[in-house]
Amino acid sequence: MSSSLFQLGFKKFLRAPQMEAKLSIKILMGLLFLYFGGSILFGGIVIYPALSKKFPQQDAISIINSILVLIFIFELIIRYFLQQLPVTEIKSLLLLPITKKRIIRNVLLRSLISIYNAIPYLFYLPISIALFKDDYLLSQAFAWWASLMLLSLSINFITILANKNNKILGSFVLGFISLYVAENNFEIEIIKLVGRFFDSIIEQPTMALIPLSIFFGFYGITFNFLKNNLNLEGSLVAKKEVANAERYDFLDIFGSHALFLKNDLRLIVRNIRPRNVVLASFLFLFYGLAFFPTIEHQPEFFIPFASIFITGGFLLTYGNYVPAWDSEYYPFLMCQNLSYKRYLDSKWSLMTFAVVVSTLLSIPYVYFGIDVYLMILSGAFFNVGLGTWITLYGGLLNKQSLQLNVKAKAFENTQAFSGKQFLMILPKMILPVLLYLIPAKIFNSTVGFITLASIGVLGIVFKNQILNQMVRLYVKEKHQTLKAFTQK
Amino acid sequence: MIITNSLTKIYGDKTALSIDRLEIPKGQCFGLVGNNGAGKTTFFSLLLDLIKASTGEIISNEIAVAKSEDWKNFTSAFIDDSFLIGYLTPEEYFYFVGSLRGIDKKEIDTFLEDYLDFFNDEILNQKKYLRDFSKGNQKKVGLIATFIGRPKVIILDEPFANLDPTTQIKLKQLIRKETEDQDVTLLISSHDLNHVTEVCNRIVLLEKGSVIMDKETTSKTLQELEDYFSA
Repeated sequence: MSSSLFQLGFKKFLRAPQMEAKLSIKILMGLLFLYFGGSILFGGIVIYPALSKKFPQQDAISIINSILVLIFIFELIIRYFLQQLPVTEIKSLLLLPITKKRIIRNVLLRSLISIYNAIPYLFYLPISIALFKDDYLLSQAFAWWASLMLLSLSINFITILANKNNKILGSFVLGFISLYVAENNFEIEIIKLVGRFFDSIIEQPTMALIPLSIFFGFYGITFNFLKNNLNLEGSLVAKKEVANAERYDFLDIFGSHALFLKNDLRLIVRNIRPRNVVLASFLFLFYGLAFFPTIEHQPEFFIPFASIFITGGFLLTYGNYVPAWDSEYYPFLMCQNLSYKRYLDSKWSLMTFAVVVSTLLSIPYVYFGIDVYLMILSGAFFNVGLGTWITLYGGLLNKQSLQLNVKAKAFENTQAFSGKQFLMILPKMILPVLLYLIPAKIFNSTVGFITLASIGVLGIVFKNQILNQMVRLYVKEKHQTLKAFTQK
Repeated sequence: MIITNSLTKIYGDKTALSIDRLEIPKGQCFGLVGNNGAGKTTFFSLLLDLIKASTGEIISNEIAVAKSEDWKNFTSAFIDDSFLIGYLTPEEYFYFVGSLRGIDKKEIDTFLEDYLDFFNDEILNQKKYLRDFSKGNQKKVGLIATFIGRPKVIILDEPFANLDPTTQIKLKQLIRKETEDQDVTLLISSHDLNHVTEVCNRIVLLEKGSVIMDKETTSKTLQELEDYFSA
C-alpha cells in the first residue's frame, strides 16, 4: 500500500508540467540548480579551513556554531515562502481504503524528499568531514552533523505547521522578536548559548540525543496536527479567506488608471504567488547595501548595475510576468470594453508607480554620498522610460499561464519562463551599465548620469509612440497568447 | 445584427467549424444546440475574436470582428469561469465590469437591486472572493455581469449548466425579459433542449461543425430535436 502511495508521488513528479518543458529550459534550470547547489557545497567546503586560517587562536567550529541560529532562521524563512508541501492531492485519497495514519505518514515522509532537505548534505557534511580531518573523533564529527541534519528536518516540519496554522506562525515570529529583544536589551545571549550547545555536542556526542528528540517531537506534533485536521473542512484543503473589503480609494488620485491600479493591488495582496514575488522585489531595495559601503573597492560597472536593481526590483520580479498574471481571466479581458492601449498603459503606470515608490524609499542611500543617490535617480529614470517597455515586451514573449493562488516551487518558474524572456533581462541590466559607463569614461560621471537619465526622459517624452508600437505587437500576438493562457 | 460569411475553423486536418452563411437579425434570441465537439464554443469564440478563423469573416453591427476592437463597446459574454476574476468579491467584479462600460458604482448598486431575487441572498455581502464560491453561484455572477450597461449583443455559453432548478427557472424569465427589448440580440448554447426551445425563437443544430438544422421555434421543435438526438 505504501509503495503505491509513493508511486503516486513519483508519477506526479514525472508528469509535472516542468518535466515536459522544453529541453533548453530543462538545461537552463539544471544549470541554475547546479549553480545554487554548487555554491552551497562550496561554502560548506571552504568555510572551515578559511575560518581556521583567519582566526588561528579560535576554534573554527565554534565560530560556525555561534552563527547557526541565524542560518536556521534564514532556512526557515526560505522554506516558509518557497517550499511546497505534498498535501494537495490528499482529497482523492480520503475515500480509498487507506488508513489516515498511513496517508499522513506518507505525506510527512514525502515532505522529507525535498530539494531543501539537501542542505545538510551540501553544507554541513563537508564541514563535518573537515572536522574529522582536523583531529576530531568520528563520533564527534558525526554527532555534530547528525544534530544539524535532524534540526534542519525539524524545520521542515515547522514549515508544515506554520503553513497550515497562522497561530503557530505567529508564535514563531513572536519568539524570534523576543529573542532579538532579549539579545539586545538584556544580557541574555541566546545566539551564543545555542552556539555553546553545539560546542557541547562536539565535546559530548551523546548530547545529539537532544536534537534527535526535538526531531521526533516535531514529527509527533505535525503528525497529530494533520491527523486532527485530515478532513475536507480541516487544514488540508485550501483555506477560504474572509474577503478584505479594502477599497484603496487613495489610488483615485491616478484618475482613469485608478481602476486598474486597484485591481492590480488586489491581485498582489490576495494571491499567494504575486504576494511573495512582490515581497521579494522589496528585498531588491537593500541590494545596494552589498556594494555601496565598499564603493571604492568595487569595479566601476557594479555601481550602475546595483542602482538599476534598487529601483527596478519590481520590474524584474513582478513585471516580467505582466500579462501572465492576468492569464486566468485573459479571455474575459479580451472581450471587455477595454482596448489594448488602455490595458498596457495601466500596466505601465503600475510599474512606474513601483519605481517611483522605490526611488523615494531609497533616499537613505544619500548616506553613501550624493553621487550614489544621483546614480540611483538616473537609474530610476531609465527604469521608467525604457525599463518598463523592455519589461512589457519581454512579457509578451512569455506564453505560459500562471496560477495565482499557489506558491511557486523552487526551480519551477518554468511555469512562466522561457529562454527568450531570460534574454530580455539582459538589455535591462547591461544597457544602463553601458549608457552610464561609456560617457563616464570618456568625460566624467556627471555626463554619465545625464546620459542615462536623459535616455529615460526620452522614453517618457515619446511614451505615446512607444505605447502605440507596443499595442501593435500585442494585438499581433493576441490569439497566440490567448491560446497559451487557456491551456492548463 | 451578426452576419458570418463562409466561416471555417480548422485545427490541423480536423474541421471544427464550417458554416456557409449565417445571419442573426437584431432582437433575435438565437439558440445553439449540439453534442460535445459540435463546434458551439468554437463558434462563440470566433464571434468574440478569441480564436482566429481559418477562412471567412464575421460582421457584427457592421464591424468586422477580427479587424476592429469596436465590437467590444456593445458586446458582452460569459463563456466559462475564465470570465471571472477569482480574487475579487462579486461586488468588486460588478463594479469593475461597470466601470469598463462607463457605469459608476451607484448605478451598479441600483442595477443589482433588480437581481436580488435571482441571487437568492447567496451572492452579495458574502465577504468571500469569487474563487471560493460554488460553481453555480459563480455562474450567477458571470451571467448577471453580462447584462451590465445594456449591451446589444449578449453571448452565453451553457448558461443553464450548474444552476439549481429554481435559478434555472428564474434565468429563463430573465432571458425572456432581456429579449423583450428588441434592441438586444441574445446568443445561447445549451445541452438542455427544454430550456433552449422555451426561450429562443430560433434554433440552430450543429454537428461536427456543420449546420444540420436551422428553424424558427415552434411547438414541434422540441420533439424534432429529441428525435434527432435519440436517433
